Amino acid sequence: MDVNFRKIDIDAFDEEILQESELYEQDPRDPAQALDEMKQIQGAVRSCLAKNDTVGALSAVLEHAPYGPTMEDAKIVSLQALMTILNSTKATEIPAAVKSLSQDSQDTLMKYLYKGMAMTGSADTNASVLLTWHEKLTEVAGTGCIVRTMTDRRTV
Amino acid sequence: MSNVLRPYLAAVRSTLTAALTLENFSSQVVERHNKPEVETGGSKEVLLNPLIISRNENERVLIEPSVNSIRLSIKIKQADEIERILCHKFTRFMMQRAESFIVLRRKPVPGYDISFLITNTHSETMLKHKIVDFIIQFMEEVDKEISEMKLSLNARARIVAESYLTAVRSNHCFKVNILLIS
Amino acid sequence: MAPQVFSIAQTPITAHAFSADRSQVAVSLNSNDIQVLSYTGSDWTATETLSEHDKIITSIDWAPTSNRIVTASQDRNAYVWQQTPDPETGKVVWKPTLVLLRINRAATHVRWSPKEDKFAVASGARAIAICSFDPENNWWVSKLLKKPIRSTVLAIDWHPNNVLLAAGSADMKARVFSAYIKEVDEKPSPTVWGSKLPFNTVCGEYASPAGGWVHSVGFSPSGDVLAFTGHDSTINVVYPGGPTVHIIRMSTLPLITLAWTSEQTIVAAGHDCQPLVFGGSEAGWQEMGTLDDGSHGGSSGPRSGPGRLNTGAFQAFKNADSRGQGATSGDTKLNTVHQNTITSVRPYQYGSAGEVSSVSTSGVDGNLVLWDANSVTAITGRMAGMSM
Repeated sequence: MDVNFRKIDIDAFDEEILQESELYEQDPRDPAQALDEMKQIQGAVRSCLAKNDTVGALSAVLEHAPYGPTMEDAKIVSLQALMTILNSTKATEIPAAVKSLSQDSQDTLMKYLYKGMAMTGSADTNASVLLTWHEKLTEVAGTGCIVRTMTDRRTV
Repeated sequence: MSNVLRPYLAAVRSTLTAALTLENFSSQVVERHNKPEVETGGSKEVLLNPLIISRNENERVLIEPSVNSIRLSIKIKQADEIERILCHKFTRFMMQRAESFIVLRRKPVPGYDISFLITNTHSETMLKHKIVDFIIQFMEEVDKEISEMKLSLNARARIVAESYLTAVRSNHCFKVNILLIS
Repeated sequence: MAPQVFSIAQTPITAHAFSADRSQVAVSLNSNDIQVLSYTGSDWTATETLSEHDKIITSIDWAPTSNRIVTASQDRNAYVWQQTPDPETGKVVWKPTLVLLRINRAATHVRWSPKEDKFAVASGARAIAICSFDPENNWWVSKLLKKPIRSTVLAIDWHPNNVLLAAGSADMKARVFSAYIKEVDEKPSPTVWGSKLPFNTVCGEYASPAGGWVHSVGFSPSGDVLAFTGHDSTINVVYPGGPTVHIIRMSTLPLITLAWTSEQTIVAAGHDCQPLVFGGSEAGWQEMGTLDDGSHGGSSGPRSGPGRLNTGAFQAFKNADSRGQGATSGDTKLNTVHQNTITSVRPYQYGSAGEVSSVSTSGVDGNLVLWDANSVTAITGRMAGMSM
């Protein structure tokens, strides 16, 4: 007798069950369009960094951060762009840079820090840089900012 | 405590503090049940984004928060084969006695060495900031413990080698010295 | 006035409700029973235990004029308790009446309507039961608000017009429903939330941008403004006209309960263990300060909740880190009055102009505290407190 039916997750067939995708609004952009946008921003970040404008570079990435499951390519580019900024900022300049960001950008930055830490070992994420930024950001934005990283389904 | 460790533990502390915002929550899938949602995973909306804090590739902490429970998993530093064995023995010893540790989980989450499950009952009966302190202290101690065990293991090996080889020392004095140095 | 602290129990207080004259309080101590406590001049002593539920009680409400208690529990039931003379002894005791809720999951929150002819029970069955009394059969019947709720309802609050109901749920939405029952209610006059209000009309649906379960909802005294707190550490104030939504992001842990004290002020509390005061108008809202000035808790010095990462234990850890001192001597007390999460804040006394002059809070630490709603202390030195 076939007993595989016992392993079926019947709760998944409950019509009333809430799906992950229903919990947030999708990024209005098309994945390809977002990828193009992020590549442009990557360029903009380089010129900002050449002018020593950390805050400008940070907000450029954070204000247009792609989110949602379809945006994987754009997300990687944006993470790379952000890591360039984080790696090239001196530890003493971090508090000032973090303070001048808007609350929205602070929340998004926190998301990127956790994403970077989750990807340690690959690409150019540097755990000790991320931890330093995390510490400074928590000092400014508090635990509330971390709570929002947990609750916000618009993952970067 | 080294300087690299401090921001790592500070990040774990602040993330854990933020995650320990639990409440009593009865299951909405099974009638009259009240189970840790992070373990049952029955309703997506009561789970939060899992967060990873890492110090390097070999040392990281995974925190999976939910409405009434959080799961915290630690990957402990294992530089060589001896540390790997010691770590395995050490965590196994504790996980077999999980009930004495109250918040310890009997099995680690795949990819990690040891896991803790903290539910709303724990945060009600114990002070929240003390639970955080306990986890942080555990993380501090476990590295220390394992490197101490490694030292004592090596020391013991040395003594054994020494007493075993005393018998043949006269003939192989030179060789033994080489062995002891290595 | 310094806050009055009553240590009721060592266990969490899951809910509390005062009688109309404030001489009695019904509390649930994280158990299946309700304790009715009476004030004896200096402390609260248990006078009666109401036991009928067989799972943990989640919410209690005490109707001030009709003197009835309604309780909700995770056993899926609600009971209405009324004082009646015992036929044998003649002693006045609380007698329960079962309510036909028709829900199959835990009841999470219960509130009497302002006229006390209805009550609403929030539940984990993705529904809210609106209960009214059926005199013919002599029991409480319910009608369910179902659509479009997708998850456990965590909190509810009645509009002063006895018809509208606000609900916050775990699907990250705060909604305003019509709970109009033909047999009980007169036709309501139009409000800012809408004019035609048949049962289950959704008059508004709001969410906080960073998501998070909606832990508490509340209508302002006039009923024209809605406030809700989310698990993303925000408090949101909604003016339905625009609609204009004011979001205050907090730097500390989420708020899980709120009470309006006047049309311009809200007291809210939660995992940060202290009641915070918010103030504003349609033009904007901000955090005004805290009711807990830090001088009444465990130790003196700058007041800080656990969310502020500056607790005594944290200091000890810091010392251990920077100076190599042992962390064993850590202070176990927080310097807030409540030592753990505050789960409920309710109006206690009203001033001459109808505003709330004092509020009561109860929490997981087993304390019941009365606060003067007007002695607000600004949160100073927060940045200093946060520095590590």
